[in-house]
Amino acid sequence: MSEILNLQQVAVNFDDKSILADISLRLACGEILGLLGPSGCGKTTLLNTLAGFVTLAGGEIQIDGDMLISPGHDIAPEHRHIGMIFQDYALFPHLTVAENIAFGITKLSKSEQNLRVNELLALLKLAEHSGRYPHQLSGGQQQRVAIARALAPRPKLLLLDEPFSNIDARLRNELMLEIRQLLKKLQMTAIFVTHNKDEVFTFADKVAVMHEGKLLQLGKPAEVCLQPNCYQVADFLQLGSWIPYALSGNELTTAIGRLTDVSGALENGESRFLLIKPQDVEICEGETEGHNVIVNHISVTEQGYHYHLASSSAPAPLAFDQLSLYSPQILALGQNLKVQIKPHNLLVFTKDRH
Amino acid sequence: MISGNNSKPWLTTTWLSALALLAPVLVMLLAGIGAPADLFVHLWQTVLPDYIINTLLLGALVVVLSLCFGVPAAIFIAQTNVLGKKYLRWLLLLPLAMPAYLVAYLYTDLFDYAGPVQRFLRASFGWSSPADYWFFDLRTLPGAAVILSLVLFPYVYMLARTAFEQQDQNLLRAGRLLGLSTRQSFFKIALPLARPAVAVAASLVLMETLADFATVQYFAVNTLTTAIYDTWLGYGDLTSANALASVLMLFILFTVVAEQKSRAGQRHQSNRPNKQTEVIVLTPWQQAGAGIFCWFLVLAGFVLPLGLLLQMAFEYSDAEQLSQLMNTGKNSLEVAVYAATLTVLLALLFGLYRRLHRDRFAHVPQVISGFGYAIPGTVIAMAMLATFGPLDHWINDLAEMLGWQSPGLVLSGSIFVIVFAFIVRFAAIANGTIASGIGQIPHSLDLAPASLGVGLKKMLLKVHLPLLKPSLLVAWLLVFVEAMKELPAVLLLRPFNFETLSTQVYQLISDEMLEQGALGAILIVLFGLLPIIWLNRTNSH
Repeated sequence: MSEILNLQQVAVNFDDKSILADISLRLACGEILGLLGPSGCGKTTLLNTLAGFVTLAGGEIQIDGDMLISPGHDIAPEHRHIGMIFQDYALFPHLTVAENIAFGITKLSKSEQNLRVNELLALLKLAEHSGRYPHQLSGGQQQRVAIARALAPRPKLLLLDEPFSNIDARLRNELMLEIRQLLKKLQMTAIFVTHNKDEVFTFADKVAVMHEGKLLQLGKPAEVCLQPNCYQVADFLQLGSWIPYALSGNELTTAIGRLTDVSGALENGESRFLLIKPQDVEICEGETEGHNVIVNHISVTEQGYHYHLASSSAPAPLAFDQLSLYSPQILALGQNLKVQIKPHNLLVFTKDRH
Repeated sequence: MISGNNSKPWLTTTWLSALALLAPVLVMLLAGIGAPADLFVHLWQTVLPDYIINTLLLGALVVVLSLCFGVPAAIFIAQTNVLGKKYLRWLLLLPLAMPAYLVAYLYTDLFDYAGPVQRFLRASFGWSSPADYWFFDLRTLPGAAVILSLVLFPYVYMLARTAFEQQDQNLLRAGRLLGLSTRQSFFKIALPLARPAVAVAASLVLMETLADFATVQYFAVNTLTTAIYDTWLGYGDLTSANALASVLMLFILFTVVAEQKSRAGQRHQSNRPNKQTEVIVLTPWQQAGAGIFCWFLVLAGFVLPLGLLLQMAFEYSDAEQLSQLMNTGKNSLEVAVYAATLTVLLALLFGLYRRLHRDRFAHVPQVISGFGYAIPGTVIAMAMLATFGPLDHWINDLAEMLGWQSPGLVLSGSIFVIVFAFIVRFAAIANGTIASGIGQIPHSLDLAPASLGVGLKKMLLKVHLPLLKPSLLVAWLLVFVEAMKELPAVLLLRPFNFETLSTQVYQLISDEMLEQGALGAILIVLFGLLPIIWLNRTNSH
């Protein structure tokens, strides 16, 4: 697969303030990348930088091998062959659906234009709406028009700014699958911005987690979940709960039991925590002695019960007040029980003080 | 409906005041419709077609010229890197403060045969008589159109600029990504989207032109407003004047409908305003051209007339003028203060009534009391005379019957009728300002006091009024300024020997002796600046 996008150490400043720093990533043709991060992390700025609305302060962007953008060599948005779907779709309110779609291909002959517009209208199931104006359409239809309009000039890269945030929660999943299939069918390379991790897992081939203008981790969603590379990534993806621990030799002590024979680069330190994913904890069935946690909140999920547990007997440095446990078993609020950590590949991170 | 707020006195006061404000216009229209048909036939066979053609021709010319001035100015300020943009942005609003009839007088002075421009040309080229050269005559219909456009184009400029600046940035960005340059995306996206705003501005300009009296009167261009004035004051023919006023009312009504329609079309504004990240970069020549264009408008519409006035004031002012100014100033102040205070009180009444009476018709008093906003001063004056003249006669007949001394024209012959006319004409300004102030008070605050055991009166005094203070002040100021400037209504309604600033200035203009009133004219301009300063302040936030 050929490479469509190559970012090397991209940096962006607004008024001497660094907004993006040292962003490097590559994207192959047909891949879908999700930019994930809390609001203000710079993900929309990165999108705008790729589109050409924000100028580079450092680094370079290479599009499809032959187009190079660097601080000394800017290329106007209209010459980048990049399509964009805006969060509010930005459809031209004074033009019909068909006119919106044809907006970017006026250089083609009339018959070619018609051909392509009709093709897209059919592809996005918009044929019966071609003569309508944007305000006469539903939110989902407007989004499809925005997609058709962006695809019409056959861009090399499609950017989507929070594409699903305006869509009704019930329809969102269905729509994501539909659009993903469409992009795959067209072999379209795409980058989308979101702060919703579920969207990344449904829609993306790759995820880039961003934080404070930096790219923390880039990889397949499953890999990133399995092996987050820092506290922020694991925390933003809500991979599990954080509990304190003490290490002596290769024995690790927590409020809910001891793990022997731990290996790897674990070390004691200020504000270092062990990541416990829900699947790494289990209830010790039938134990009436040695209770170590108490149930302090119960919420119901479609898969069963989600219990928040707090340590009940641990000394202060090891105490914790929130550990997630999913179980079909019915427990009462305030009930004491014993849980233990299943042996697994331990993940330990330093919590920063934000 | 909130219980306890439907007190009878409040309800009756509100409805009666609102109906009272509407009544004169209805009376005038009825009188106009009820006028004998052969009067209309007579008018139609003699002067009416000319009046109508002149009125419409003037309106069309002013609209076209205002668009030619205002739209490019808005484009230059909102979308390009024109020089001095920061200052031009608000300087271009200043001509609004300049009454058109002042500009008309000053420019006539400047450009006519005996004026300095032609004298200079004759001296430079050795011409000796009008036959030697051609020079434009300002005192014509096109001349009036140019003058009116020079002071009315800021409506177009302001609304168009706001439309450009409030357009969704993403629409322009989408245009860029679909292959347009900054300039192309402006012309293919931003300009078409600003059309409804420009249409609103054009109808405002048309309304102002239809209402203009002093400029056309000075230039001796016969339009409907001058016809009303002449018919009444010249021939004392109230019925014909009423009929003409009704015809003018019809034109205004069409404009109002057009304006409302255009407003409804303005749904493209977004809450993500264009943050000016990308402007159209002009070449140095284009920049110079655009700059000269904008500066010319500021100079011609404001700086030059004001300069001429200041020069006159310096040369001719003396102690006698000052004392005269004090006298007329006092009169102006008196009627303006009465009008502003009463208008604001009534608007407050209508506003609170609408807010607290949650029945189906609670908005009606506010709406009908605002009908006067588009009505020209001359028409309102006719409406006042049509209503209060007969009322005065009736009062006098009654007094005679009872054997009392005749009170004279207590209503139509005193400043009562002027103040009343002002309230009818400017109620909409106060209504709008106060309604938006009331709209910003959360509805829960209407309910919270009751839940704390506080009654309606105390709630209004302790909660609503303090929160409304800024809107009340602004509304008062706006009405005050409009009342200070209003001319035609006062001209037609003033009691004998009663002069305000504007009537005095106008009188002096008619007598070609503005020098005597330059100070008063400057004062009118300065008052006119107040709302512009306020407008600019709220716009920049």
